[in-house]
This record gives sequence, structure tokens and C-alpha cells, in this order.
Amino acid sequence: MMELEIELKKASDSLKSWDTTSISLTAGCDLFMRYVTRTSALEYEDFNSAKSRLIERAEKFGEISYKARRIIAMLSQDFIFDGCTILVHGFSRVVLEVLKTAAQNKKLFRVLCTEGRPDRTGLRLSNELAKLDVPVKLLIDSAVAYSMDEIDMVFVGADGVVESGGIINMMGTYQIALVAHSMNKPVYVAAESYKFARLYPLDQKDMAPALRPIDFGVPIPSKVEVETSARDYTPPQYLTLLFTDLGVLTPSVVSDELIQLYL
Amino acid sequence: MEPRRNPRTVIDPKVRQVGFFAPPDRSQSGLPDAASPVHASSSSPSGNSLSPVMIPPPRHHSDNLIPPLPSPRSVPHPAVPSSYTAASEFSPTAASSYSSGSRFPGDGDDVSFSPGRLAKENSVKVMASSVPTVSLVNKPPLNIAATDKAGAEVLNDRPKAPKEKMSKAERRALQESQRAAKAAAKAEASKGPAGTPGAAPAKPAKAASRKSDVASASVTASEKKGGDRPTEKERKKDVPHPRMQYDDTSRVEKAKRRAVVKQTEARNRVELFRHLPQYEHGSQLPDLESKFFQLDPMHPAVYKVGLHYLSGDISGGNARCIAMLQAFQEVIKDYSTPPEKTLSRDLTAKISSYVSFFTECRPLSVSMGNAIRFLKSRIAKLPLTMSESEAKTTLQSDIDHFINEKIIVADKVIVSHAVTKIRDGDVLLTYGSSSAVEMILQRAHELGKQFRVVLVDSRPKLEGQLLLRRLVAKGISCTYTHINAISYIMHEATRVFLGASAVLSNGTVYSRVGTACVAMVAHAFDVPVLVCCEAYKFHERVQLDSICSNELGDPHAIANVPGREQLNFLDGCAKSDNLQLLNLIYDVMPSDYVSMIITDYGMVPPTSVPVIVREYRREHLWM
Repeated sequence: MMELEIELKKASDSLKSWDTTSISLTAGCDLFMRYVTRTSALEYEDFNSAKSRLIERAEKFGEISYKARRIIAMLSQDFIFDGCTILVHGFSRVVLEVLKTAAQNKKLFRVLCTEGRPDRTGLRLSNELAKLDVPVKLLIDSAVAYSMDEIDMVFVGADGVVESGGIINMMGTYQIALVAHSMNKPVYVAAESYKFARLYPLDQKDMAPALRPIDFGVPIPSKVEVETSARDYTPPQYLTLLFTDLGVLTPSVVSDELIQLYL
Repeated sequence: MEPRRNPRTVIDPKVRQVGFFAPPDRSQSGLPDAASPVHASSSSPSGNSLSPVMIPPPRHHSDNLIPPLPSPRSVPHPAVPSSYTAASEFSPTAASSYSSGSRFPGDGDDVSFSPGRLAKENSVKVMASSVPTVSLVNKPPLNIAATDKAGAEVLNDRPKAPKEKMSKAERRALQESQRAAKAAAKAEASKGPAGTPGAAPAKPAKAASRKSDVASASVTASEKKGGDRPTEKERKKDVPHPRMQYDDTSRVEKAKRRAVVKQTEARNRVELFRHLPQYEHGSQLPDLESKFFQLDPMHPAVYKVGLHYLSGDISGGNARCIAMLQAFQEVIKDYSTPPEKTLSRDLTAKISSYVSFFTECRPLSVSMGNAIRFLKSRIAKLPLTMSESEAKTTLQSDIDHFINEKIIVADKVIVSHAVTKIRDGDVLLTYGSSSAVEMILQRAHELGKQFRVVLVDSRPKLEGQLLLRRLVAKGISCTYTHINAISYIMHEATRVFLGASAVLSNGTVYSRVGTACVAMVAHAFDVPVLVCCEAYKFHERVQLDSICSNELGDPHAIANVPGREQLNFLDGCAKSDNLQLLNLIYDVMPSDYVSMIITDYGMVPPTSVPVIVREYRREHLWM
């Protein structure tokens, strides 16, 4: 039994090492390990029954994660009302699922999409939304405050949800959340529960760096430095609600869930 | 400057009357004016009407329920079961003594109510009628010495009272009677048949009186004669209050009688903090030391630790808790069950008496309180079949485990989490002297991190100086300043590490006075505040301000600066009436200022404190 746990740990470690910067990968692996091994099945004498119990829990975990997006999409339908304007930042498949479901439910809404440099996520997302016949408008990243007046809510995904209830997401999320907060617009985060990580950044620099080279289109002189960090941390006071497969939560519940799961 | 608002009346500025007050004492002559239901504190010179802070006592809801009682009273429905046990015993016999006449005009209304309510209303009406006669001056003077008879006579002789006087008196009487009736119901349960025969002879004497209601009224009247105190006390006992309020003189008297340490109360006290104990410092220690060899009931280890608390030798949540638990280990070691007693009950009683001794020496900290709860629950859970020596060794090892797990190992876990938050080039600010923070700084230095420390300190305790000495001895570069420079120095700091005496359920942190100030300034400068606190110091109570629960230290410590004779301007002024010195020991920091709490359960946001309290109490039944 212990051997099996060690094997699992080794597998999880090797998976994590494939992309050390991905928080959701690390968090997912850790949560999987906790979820699977946190069962009294490990104390059974009969190895086969213990093994099958582990496999059962593992499959359940997989199912939950897989279905998570559908559940989140369902939960968030109540928050999208007819005639609303949604601002979206970054390409998140969860958010896309949310908007798809809303469109299928014949809700009338329009979406403002930030360009999302340097990843050009905005372009990809607006493509997808155009296919759904949802009215889309593209903004450059700097035009967020300018358009915030006409926006009713902000929807973002998350790379990771940290213990304080804040999120780590694509660079620019913090900015948008700040602007939305100061203009009293709600910021909704759609994230699956396996993204809950046991991190607690105190400020922007307190995370493991994830760098991404930026292509400006013109050559940059060598003496000029470029900020290449790909993500930022949004503290929980700027977030309104988290839509997860565990339900619609406030940011302070994240720690509650983590404590229950980890301890 | 805008003109001052005119105070409505002249109020002594020293006296703040805040809150709800009970109606004034019945034994006072005359009907106190309803417009000024003032409950003056004993030292207050202001006897007049509402101060701006006063909130008049709530009108009793039954005031509007029942019209003022004219003299022909309603005969309650004989078939109605009274809600009071006293009443019910007399209803069969009483019914016979009544004539069927003199029905109350409002009877028609009565019938429509439910029986229970009817009885209640009737009894209330009766109370209303009976009680004010005790206090009204214009009533014929009644011989109130006899209890039950008096009640009967009172009702018999009651003339028609002027209506408006009745209403005010009646309202208050209703309140009092409701309370008294409740007490009576309880008293009945305890007094049993004792009350009933007393009331019985009184009953037939009156013709036009209520039956059972009289009996209960007379019971309540007798209870009332015992003074308002018993009923109020019983009412207070219904709602358990967690701490002793030291401005309730009766309770203080009771506690004093049982006290080992004879503390003399300080004379010149700040009104706002009257509910906290304040004693003259420095007067008990010689007396107690001399008693060291004469204490039979008190274990010497407990006595020693108590003296350490009193003199201030042991201070700091962890140190006090560990000292107390080790003293209890000694107690358990030397304990032997007296005959005819069970170990668990007797030992718990002994521990409780030692705890009250500790409280007299110095009020308990939350850490100590939680440890005592743990110990008591362990004692209670001992199986009865266990032999005494086994039980004793189990308890001693439990205490050892508690100290080890909850304090020593917890500190190690906290340190390991906290050092991950220290980066090279950091400037760490800390306040006062916290054992957890000291360990963090030492460990970070051992790990070779490059940082410097800013140590903020404050009078009168100047606890930071000891910490400073130890840190400098380890080679950590430190800056030392007092709290008046906090806003000057805060821009340099990158992290603030603070300790805590307790963390409460709403995320507020209860710690040494001045900590809240540091956290507030840090918040204003956007510097993250990390509070390091072991999980056994979490408590499920909630506190919103630093006033309702705190500790008062020696006021003279503020007035005197040791070693600087020329600065002692306040010498001798401390006794003056115009000057009140306040030396608070703790203060409360709201959760908004706290970025993160580092506990042995990891790094959690302040909103997760009740989660930890819930999860861990449930799992380990307080462990």
C-alpha cells in the first residue's frame, strides 16, 4: 500500500515537472493525491479492494473535473441577464463554456473582449464567440477603463485559486479587477475546484515566476529591459464571486475548502 | 469653531451611562418619575434625567396588551389552566371561594384568547395590581412584614388608584411581575410544597381577589421583599455571562469572600473600564509570600506560579500557559482521591479552585483558558474503571502531549511556514516581544537570508528591549524605535510580523496594546501584516472593540519613568480626583489589517479562523 502511494507520488511529480509554472497542474496533482489517498481504504488488509477503492476515487475525481465546466456553466446562468454587457479577459475554456451555454439558452447579451497581448487571446475568443452569434467587440488592453461604464460584469477564468481567495491569472487581470472594483462592477471568476492551490502570495512578486517572451514587432535596443511575466495575482477583495463546481462561493470559502481537504 | 451643542442637562463628564438599565429600586420612596428612569451608579453625582448616552429601558410589550386595571378586576375563567404552577394548585379551591359576580367588563375579550394566555394576562393584571401597591406612597401604608398575608391584604385594601399613576407604576410593575412570576415559577419548582401551604391560608381570606394569581403574587411579593437583587440575579443567571463584570458590586463581594489573594481595589478608576478589575499594585506580594508555608488547600507549585504572575516574572501567552500546565502536572502527581469521592469530580473542583486563584493573581489569558478547558475535558473523559495511578499518569502524559504538540511543535511549524515569506533584502518590522516572531527571525537568520529587523517598542513595559538584546547577540542587524515613530519608519518596512495573545472568530487579533496601531499604519502603507499565532490560542468568541474585555495594568507605571527623576511630574498627582490613569494591557486589531495568519495549520486568511475552530474542536473535542 505504501509502495502504491510512493508510485503515485512519483508519477505526480514527474507530471508536475513537465510544466513547473503551471499552477493548475500542480494544484490538480496535489488535490488528486490528497483526494485519492485521504480514504480509509488504505487501511484495508485486502490489497485488491483497497486498490479498487483508489481507482474508484480516482475516476470520480476525473469525472468531477470533466463535468466541472458544465456545472460551472449551469451555475452562472442566473447571473447573466438579458441585455447585459460582459467583459472577458484571457482565453478560458470555462468562461467560453459559460457564454456558450448562455447563448444556447437564448439569452441576449454582448461581450467586450480585451485583446490580451501578447498571447492574442482576445482574438481567439472573439472568433469563438462570433461563431456562436454573440455580438462581440474587441478592445485594446488600455481601453478597459474607458469602456467600464457600459459594462455590467467582468468574467475571467483562473490559472490557480490561492488560499487567500485571490486568483492567479493572465497578466492584466489585476488591472481590470481594480478598475471594476473602483467603479463598482462585479468581477466573477469561473474556476474548477482542482485549481485550488495551497499558495498564499503576499504581493505580485511573491509567486514563482512564469516568463513569456514578448514580441513587439520591432527590434528592441539591448539596453531596454522588458517585463515578461505572464501572470499576476488579484487579491480577494477585488473579486465578487467564484463560480466553481462546488458551488457559487465567496473568496473566503476557498480556504475553508482547502482546510477541509488538506487537514 | 462651531458652537458646542448644548447639553440637555448638566452631566458629570466623568460618568458615562451607557446601555439599558433596570427600573429603579422599588424600595425607594415615591414613584420615581417615569421620565427619568435613571440607574445612577453609586459614585455618580448626577441624579437627573437622561444623559445623552442613556437609552431608556424598553417599555414592556405587555403594556399595550392590557388596559390599565380599574378596581373591579376580572375573575379569571375557572376552567383556565394557569401557566404558573403556583396558580394551578389553587384553581380548584379558589374557584369555589369566588362569587360569580363582578365580572370584568373586558371578559368578553378574554374568552377569545387562548387559555394559557388568558391566565397569563390575568396573573399579569393581578401582579400589576398587587405590586404597585407596595411601592406607591399614596396607598394606605401596609404592613409588609408578613409575606403571604400582606399580599392578600394588599389586594383587599386596594383602593382605586388614579389612572395615570397606575399606568406608569403598572408598566414597571408588569415588568417586575413578569420577572417575579418567572422567578416564582422557578422557586415553586424548587420550593415545592413549602410555598403553597403558606399561600393557602391567605387565599380564603380574600373574597374579591384572584385565586392562584394572588398566591403567586404573594410568593413573588415575598421574593421581592428580599430585595430586587434576587430576582435580578436570577434573571441574570438565565443568561450566562462569560466574564465577571467588576462593576456589579454584589458579585464582586461574593468573589472577594472566596478570594485567597486580598486585593485592594484601586480608588481612582476610569469610568469606561469599571467592568474590569483594577487593584492596587505592589501591595499583596509580601503578604502572600509570608503565607507560603501555611497554605493547606493550595498546592505550593500553584502558589509559586501565581506569585510569578502577580509580580510579572512570567509573561507572554505561551510562557504563562506552560507554567500553569506544569504546575497542574505537579498537582496531579501529588493528588490522591479523598474517600467517598470520584477522581474526576474532585480533581476538577480542585483545578477550578486553583484557576480562580490564578485569576485573582492575574486575569487568565485565552491560551490559559483553552488549556484549562482541555484539561477539564480530559479529566471528564477518564473512564471510571481506571485506577487512580493510571489516571494520574494518563493525565500527566496528556498535558505533556498538549504542551509538545500545541506549543512546541506548533511553533516549529509556524517558523517553517513563515521563513518562506522572507526574501533576501527584506526589512522586517516587529512590535514588542513575541516568542513566535523571535523564533522566526532566528531561523531565517540561520538559513542565511539577508534581512534586517526594525523593532518597535513602547512604554511602560519596554518588552522589545529584551528581544533586541537577543537578536543583536545572534548577529541580526536591528533598528530600534518607539511606537511614536511608527509612521516615520513604516515606509522602510517590507513585511510586518506580529504575535498575538488570541485570535477571535471574526478574525480580530487580540494582542499587546500598540499592536493594532502598528497594523493600522502598516495597512495604510500597504505593507503586508503577518500574524503568527498557534492554533490553541484561537477562540470562538467575537470582540468588536478593546473595551468590553481587556486587562488593566498598574496605572502608576505610566506616571513614573524609572530612573529619570526629573520627568516624574505626575508624582503624587495620581491620587487627585481630576486625574485618572489608564494602563491597558491588550488591544484588538480588526481583521482588515491582517494579511495572513500563520498557524500550525498553515497560512490562512483571517476569515478562516472560525473554520479551524470548528474543524479542530469537532475532531479532537478540543485538542
